[in-house]
Amino acid sequence: MNRHISKVAVLGSGVMGSRIACHFANIGCEVLLLDIVPNELSEIDLKKGLTTESEGFRNRIVNDALTASTKSNPSPIYRKAFVSRIKTGNFDDDFSKISSCDWIIEVVIERLDIKQQVFSNVEKHRKPGTLITSNTSGIPIKMMLDGRSDDFKKHFCGSHFFNPPRYLQLLEIIPTPSTEPAVVDFLMDYGQRFLGKKTVLCKDTPAFIANRVGVYSIMSLFHIVNEMGLTVEEVDKLSGPIMGRPKSATFRTCDVVGLDTLVHVANGLKANCPEDEAKCLFELPSYISKMVDNNWLGSKSKQGFYKKEKDENGNRQILALDLNTLEYKKAARVKFPTLEMAKPIEDLHQRTKMLLMGMDKAGEFYKKIFGGLFAYVSNRIPEITDDLFKIDDALKAGFGWELGPFETWDILGIDQGIKLAEKEGKIVAPWIQEMKDAGFKSFYKMENGQKFYYDIASKAYKVIPGTEDLVMLESLRTEKKVWGNSDTTVVDMGNGILNLEFHTKMNTIGGGVIEGINKAIDLAEQDYKGLVIFNTGQNFSAGANVGMIFMMAIEQDFDELNFSVKAFQDTMMRVRYSNVPVIVAPHNMALGGGCELSMHADKVVAHAELYMGLVEFGVGLIPGGGGSKEFAKRLSDELAAGDIKINRMRDKFLTIGQAKVSTSAYEAFDLGYLREGIDEVVVSRQHQLIRAKEACELMVSEGYLAPKRGKNITVLGNEGLGIVYVGADTMLSGNYMSEHDRIISEKLGFVLCGGDLSENTIVSEQYLLDMERKAFLELCAERKTLERLESIVKKGKILRN
Amino acid sequence: MGRAYIVKGYRTAVGKAGKGGLRFSRPDDLAVDVIKNIMAEVPELDKTRIDDIIVGNATPEAEQGLNIGRMISLMGLDTNKVPGMTVNRYCSSGLETIAIATAKIESGMSECIIAGGVESMSTMAMGGWRIVPNPKVGKENPSWYWGMGLTAEAVAKQFGVSREDQDAFALHSHEKAIAAIKAGRFKDDIVPINVHQVYLDEYEKRQERSYIIDTDEGPRASTLAGLGKLRPVFAQGGTVTAGNSSQTSDGAAFCLVMSEKMVKELNLEPIARLASYSVVGLEPKIMGMGPVDAIPKAIKAAGISQNDISLYELNEAFASQSLAVIRETGINPDIVNVNGGAIALGHPLGCTGAKLTVQIINELKRRDKKYGVVTMCIGTGQGAAGVVEMM
Repeated sequence: MNRHISKVAVLGSGVMGSRIACHFANIGCEVLLLDIVPNELSEIDLKKGLTTESEGFRNRIVNDALTASTKSNPSPIYRKAFVSRIKTGNFDDDFSKISSCDWIIEVVIERLDIKQQVFSNVEKHRKPGTLITSNTSGIPIKMMLDGRSDDFKKHFCGSHFFNPPRYLQLLEIIPTPSTEPAVVDFLMDYGQRFLGKKTVLCKDTPAFIANRVGVYSIMSLFHIVNEMGLTVEEVDKLSGPIMGRPKSATFRTCDVVGLDTLVHVANGLKANCPEDEAKCLFELPSYISKMVDNNWLGSKSKQGFYKKEKDENGNRQILALDLNTLEYKKAARVKFPTLEMAKPIEDLHQRTKMLLMGMDKAGEFYKKIFGGLFAYVSNRIPEITDDLFKIDDALKAGFGWELGPFETWDILGIDQGIKLAEKEGKIVAPWIQEMKDAGFKSFYKMENGQKFYYDIASKAYKVIPGTEDLVMLESLRTEKKVWGNSDTTVVDMGNGILNLEFHTKMNTIGGGVIEGINKAIDLAEQDYKGLVIFNTGQNFSAGANVGMIFMMAIEQDFDELNFSVKAFQDTMMRVRYSNVPVIVAPHNMALGGGCELSMHADKVVAHAELYMGLVEFGVGLIPGGGGSKEFAKRLSDELAAGDIKINRMRDKFLTIGQAKVSTSAYEAFDLGYLREGIDEVVVSRQHQLIRAKEACELMVSEGYLAPKRGKNITVLGNEGLGIVYVGADTMLSGNYMSEHDRIISEKLGFVLCGGDLSENTIVSEQYLLDMERKAFLELCAERKTLERLESIVKKGKILRN
Repeated sequence: MGRAYIVKGYRTAVGKAGKGGLRFSRPDDLAVDVIKNIMAEVPELDKTRIDDIIVGNATPEAEQGLNIGRMISLMGLDTNKVPGMTVNRYCSSGLETIAIATAKIESGMSECIIAGGVESMSTMAMGGWRIVPNPKVGKENPSWYWGMGLTAEAVAKQFGVSREDQDAFALHSHEKAIAAIKAGRFKDDIVPINVHQVYLDEYEKRQERSYIIDTDEGPRASTLAGLGKLRPVFAQGGTVTAGNSSQTSDGAAFCLVMSEKMVKELNLEPIARLASYSVVGLEPKIMGMGPVDAIPKAIKAAGISQNDISLYELNEAFASQSLAVIRETGINPDIVNVNGGAIALGHPLGCTGAKLTVQIINELKRRDKKYGVVTMCIGTGQGAAGVVEMM
């Protein structure tokens, strides 16, 4: 059956429901969001003159919830206008509207009786064949089947989104024995391809996969803290980014999630998993019980493991809970020799080895948690899943771990992992031993551009399902490397398309990356057909290497600086004017130079999560790598005869002048960084590279011809300068900017207007590039710009001066 | 040569710009409605004897462009014999036109002129759609182009007007305006406007509706606490908020000005005259202080003294400039804007001068007083004042 999702009903508008609704709106679906009618008129309702018959009253709960969600930060919605795709209503008046929906998602309160009541209503209105899923995190899915029709059962399963659903990658799909396999296949693929989630197929076991292992992990840490006498801040330092886990690490994560929620899941596991060999860990340590009694639940109750306070000088300070005394103390600096050794190592694989080699308390800590974790996950197979990669996928996508347990285990080797577990007194599952005895050396392997996992049932490697049609850069990197330097790698993706990736710190762009871009274009022009610039780092690029600019500026080495900026500009122009199509595929942060690179691509294939902006103003500069030029050019391109040019110029000026950064790829269009009709958005990060490659192939097959250079930019000249000066003075006089900001603003405006030319003069890109570079260099000679650069380089902070 | 008299004067109710009841009415239509109302009240007047229609407007472009004055004369009088012109002196435009009419008549150049102003801020961006300052001035004297809000901040700072005082002043303006509306004190000013709206219903079916706008929309019940919560909008750390600034508005107001000779010939009753009118210049940065010099100049020109003035209508662009003007001139605050000012009632820029003239005439009549002053600050460093003398 050809299934098409264009309209989705979300039943229940709480924190999850309204945010799930937003995410479906994000991807273009029409959404019907319903919730209950309030019990009685509130004071505000009465003030508004509402009656129990008014829509304003009847939809109050759902409307308030949706408003709260759309106002929350980070926003659940890609573009504000997308909210209009969500129609709200209530269970009493609007339930019949679900008959026109293709997928019904139940997200009501976690009570089986209420869910069953909702389902029996669904049964009355749902048209046969419609998907129906429940977003429970704790109730067994099969218990929801009682009294349901066959058609309902066939099309029903669990769909467990993680909060916030826009940002957290995981979507667990939990079928029942009655669920049609085709329904499961559809949801697994749809979730991945169109919702941009990592879909993980789960068995109907308590807390499913991610929460089972994730909560085990947190609970085991709760106990290790006691055993080892560690502090809250020590554990967070040890269990954060250093080991490839999120910045919020352990206790800060608990504060965000809420201790009550965590305790609820832990208690559920304790009650429902009598066979779990680690069930003693689900017992709450006494300090946790006391915290719950004190209502120290975390952010929601203003204090948990941490508490924010103002000190005697009114400065904000963070206090951490002393788990022995249960008193808050100023968080102390954490130091361990192992951490000092590991910190400089960029590569997580190497770093993990270093952490486990440590002979101090930190080393002991890592041995304990990894030893325990390896044993635990090996023993969850086949209980919670038959496939080891699902555990890795779930933890990575649901808890933000960079590496899953089995991937980490692979770093050490199977043997070492077993020993680690045994040293902790844990026993790994028998299938590990069997696998080892059969001569398998790792859980995963890369081959022919694909990632394989060890399939326990068939005792053989298999391609990870759902990845068959993806480009796996991690595999190509070793197998199909064409060229590389310390900062970049060029690989052959097949069909004549190369990929260039950066691997500098924060993927900043310096000399090595510039060399890499030029080399990749050389190669593509000589022996291939097209180039994609994409990487698998945390961020696409944080911009030009500011440290390098700062060094040259402070040494007043302006010739060298001029040379470097010119090289950057020339490279951007090459990206545009080379004889091969160049596709840039950015994700997350694409700032400054990363944004400029994107702006010069033949096409951008952007991940929906794109935080793009020309942010040079913050460090006392204007975009010098073609960004200012490009805004002047785009202004000229966008204007039609009779348009009021000056207002459009002002908008462009403010975008750079206020260093506006998009909160999604769609906003990047609104800000003028991406081009309607040319650039594209991909919701699925996993599919971004293949989509970029396909776009490149299409351009090649259509007989790509580079755009022609020419003198074709109409600038405003004197027509625009007046408003630049007045605008800057107004901002200065209104205390919105500093005197130095005024200097930068005027230079930026001067470049955007093409200087003090007579109105409507036509100029070339090079003219504007030279002008932009001159302004950039002049600013580098300003003391206050140097101070700003120094602040960002040394402290990572934007200085306002 | 004799005097010039105001024989009739009317205004529309003032609508809130962008969201009020007059937002679907074009400025030319608004002006025409007022003028037709005046003409209906003077059937004795042969319209071809009107020498000119002079229309004040502060943003004469787009709907208000193409010499809206002439368009209004054609549309409003059903004859092509009466010419029309547009005058822009920003916020005093509507008073300026009455002064021009008076001067022309008193000098013998004309006998009968319809003068006033119109502004539809619903249709217009503040300052106009295309603001193109001279780059040389922008570089050397950018404050000549400052937005009015920033000048209000400069006045507040230079003349020490506190946020609390501004908010209290704003609150009082609303209270006075609400009381005036309740007491029906604007009934004699206002020409009800019939607004026609064409829209699509939820089934995209064309629908039409008409409604009457006959009450000023701006005044609202406010509190000091409520006003105190508003953030400054023109300067970080400033004191000028949306609550203590005048409102953007739509409105039109016109007067029929006639020579003594014609008044006698038609046997009409003159109600008032513009006894004097003065405009002054000052530093653009503190344009809000314009009335400080303009008021004494106009009073002197009228040959009377400040003690003779019973009422002031001050344009009330901002509470900061209103308070600073009242303090600097020493005028009695109790006789300033007795029925509320533009913070409550709105400030349709080019119309305001004529609107305040209509208001002060009716209030002087009600109080049986002789002299009143209409005064305003004007963008780019000017101030205007006119003495209205009741007959």
